[in-house]
Amino acid sequence: MRNRTIYLLLLPGALFLTIFMVIPILLTIGSTFFNEGSFSFEGYLHYFQDKYFIGILLTTLRVSLVTTFICILLGFPVAYYISKVGTRTKVLLLLLSIFPLLTSSVVRSFSWMIIIGKNGVLNKLLLSIGLIEEPLNILYTPTAIIIGLVHLFLPLIIITLIGVLENMDEDLLTAAESLGASRLGVFTKVVLPLSMPGLVIGSILVFVGSFTAYTTPALLGGKQRVISTFLYQNATTLNDWHTAAIVATIMIVITLLVTIIMNQIAYKINPKG
Amino acid sequence: MALFTLENISVAYNKQNILQDFNLEIEEGKFVSLLGPSGCGKTTTLRLIAGFLESNNGKFLYKGKDYTKVPVNKRNFGFVFQNYALFPHLTIFDNVAFGLRLRKASKSEIEKRVASVLEIVNLRGFEKRYPKELSGGQRQRVAIARALVIEPDLLLFDEPLSNLDANLRENMRIEIRRIQQELGITTVYVSHDQEECFAISDQVAIMNKGIIEQLSDPATIYNYPKTKFVADFIGFKNFIEFENRTIHENEIELSKSGFTFIVQKNQANTESDRKIGAIRPDNLVIRPFQELVNPGGNELPGKVKIRTFLGRSYQYIIETPIGDFTVNQEMLVPYQVGDEIILEFPANKMVLVK
Ligand SMILES: Nc1ncnc2c1ncn2[C@@H]1O[C@H](COP(=O)(O)OP(=O)(O)OP(=O)(O)O)[C@@H](O)[C@H]1O
Ligand SMILES: [Mg+2]
Repeated sequence: MRNRTIYLLLLPGALFLTIFMVIPILLTIGSTFFNEGSFSFEGYLHYFQDKYFIGILLTTLRVSLVTTFICILLGFPVAYYISKVGTRTKVLLLLLSIFPLLTSSVVRSFSWMIIIGKNGVLNKLLLSIGLIEEPLNILYTPTAIIIGLVHLFLPLIIITLIGVLENMDEDLLTAAESLGASRLGVFTKVVLPLSMPGLVIGSILVFVGSFTAYTTPALLGGKQRVISTFLYQNATTLNDWHTAAIVATIMIVITLLVTIIMNQIAYKINPKG
Repeated sequence: MALFTLENISVAYNKQNILQDFNLEIEEGKFVSLLGPSGCGKTTTLRLIAGFLESNNGKFLYKGKDYTKVPVNKRNFGFVFQNYALFPHLTIFDNVAFGLRLRKASKSEIEKRVASVLEIVNLRGFEKRYPKELSGGQRQRVAIARALVIEPDLLLFDEPLSNLDANLRENMRIEIRRIQQELGITTVYVSHDQEECFAISDQVAIMNKGIIEQLSDPATIYNYPKTKFVADFIGFKNFIEFENRTIHENEIELSKSGFTFIVQKNQANTESDRKIGAIRPDNLVIRPFQELVNPGGNELPGKVKIRTFLGRSYQYIIETPIGDFTVNQEMLVPYQVGDEIILEFPANKMVLVK
């Protein structure tokens, strides 16, 4: 009886997801295998031979991976610090670190344009103190996209890492030390493996977010296309929905693959995570 | 010879002194327990010895060398935590091998030493399991194995048995003592279980509010407590603060409000500041009031105030002219509340403390 009630309660949500998500996704994927009425892989073959498309795909992958990596590097120390301070400071620091999530990505991207543009704040500063002779070309490059994405997604990794670091038993670190581990050893042999669950979830969030982000690459990337801007261009500007569907399917598959690979790596490092 | 010495150590948390001018000297090969009420600084002392905590001043000498500033990972002391602190992401084998790998031992040597230490703690065959897949007692033994395998110069235990049930606790403490004696490792053991400490230690240090009140072998502590705190802690529930004290050839004569008491003299009770008499509830004797009062002393007239049935015996609270006393007495026909009685203090059962 009780079980049946629970299933009934699940029904509206399940129906909603099926009608508005599962079916459209299946239709999209299915449609990519049909070319003028007959079944074929031609759409995919075409794209994997297209240098321009492969270039976009690789750039997007690189940008997303670098973003994820930088977020981990920057996020770990911050999360570690926040997890160690007293409750009141913690709340304040947490608020500060999720602040970027509360502003619109359009506003944020425009701010970055002002900072890293050719005549932007950064170039002016570096020129005036004589560190560089020529203004740096950052805006409208993959680097600009990475900067924007790191800013956007850093909070996600900080929050997920704080979750695991806060619950980490301090005695485990002391135990490792008393067995002879240096600070670095404690980190690599205990803290890192035990952080894996949070690190994986955070990394997947950041990676998937970066891989599918639209506004930030559209505004900071200039002519540099990433896969989502490419998809948008095909769907709306060129009205080529078949291509758009193929690109979308490729995105889904890559996202799934990366998620699986990250889980595997995490399992290697910490089989019990 | 002293293996290590704590000299005038002070430790403070948030500017509040937990240990102050703390001194402790421990001999090589001995099993020493720190025993005391909750919050008295036992864990703090142990963590200081391990190097997890820094002292504000004072010295930690190990084999005569100044170890005060030697970091934890260079001390080669084994620490067994109250909650075991096993690495959840590593198998039992890897948990135990942790310290050996850090010491860059060869693969075959690691295998040999892990196997032999798991043999000692009776855990062969558990190598591939994870800590979550073990019972509390097994985890505790892994924790001990992990600390033992590095052949520590000193073994430190912080209430290692407090999470186990009574039966297992007794078995484990015998195990711990056996292993310690077999390997001859100097051991410092923290507990607030009195029986446990007395059962396994060569020496017991009774701690109170950040100082050691007495450090002796268990029997001496049990029979000859030095201070009122120690006496109270180990069950001398009755105290008399005497006003006068005269030392005779074989005995000490004391008095309180006109009542005289005689205590047998020994080397432990002649110090001039020992003016408080202490006696266990089991050692006081109640007699019916009709019998003659001993003119020599050691007796008080009294009245039964409260009676409690303890099973094996009755516990009485006796009201006397110099205060209330707790007495445990076995008898077939118990006294009633309100009965007038005589309370007797056997001369060889009362100790003097300060
Ligand atoms: N990290 C800390 N910060 C502030 N005060 C602390 C800290 N750790 C311990 N204390 C205080 O220091 C005192 C001694 O603590 P300690 O842990 O040494 O006691 P203990 O004798 O081990 O007690 P227990 O038997 O309950 O384990 C206590 O009053 C405790 O409140
Ligand atoms: Mg403690």
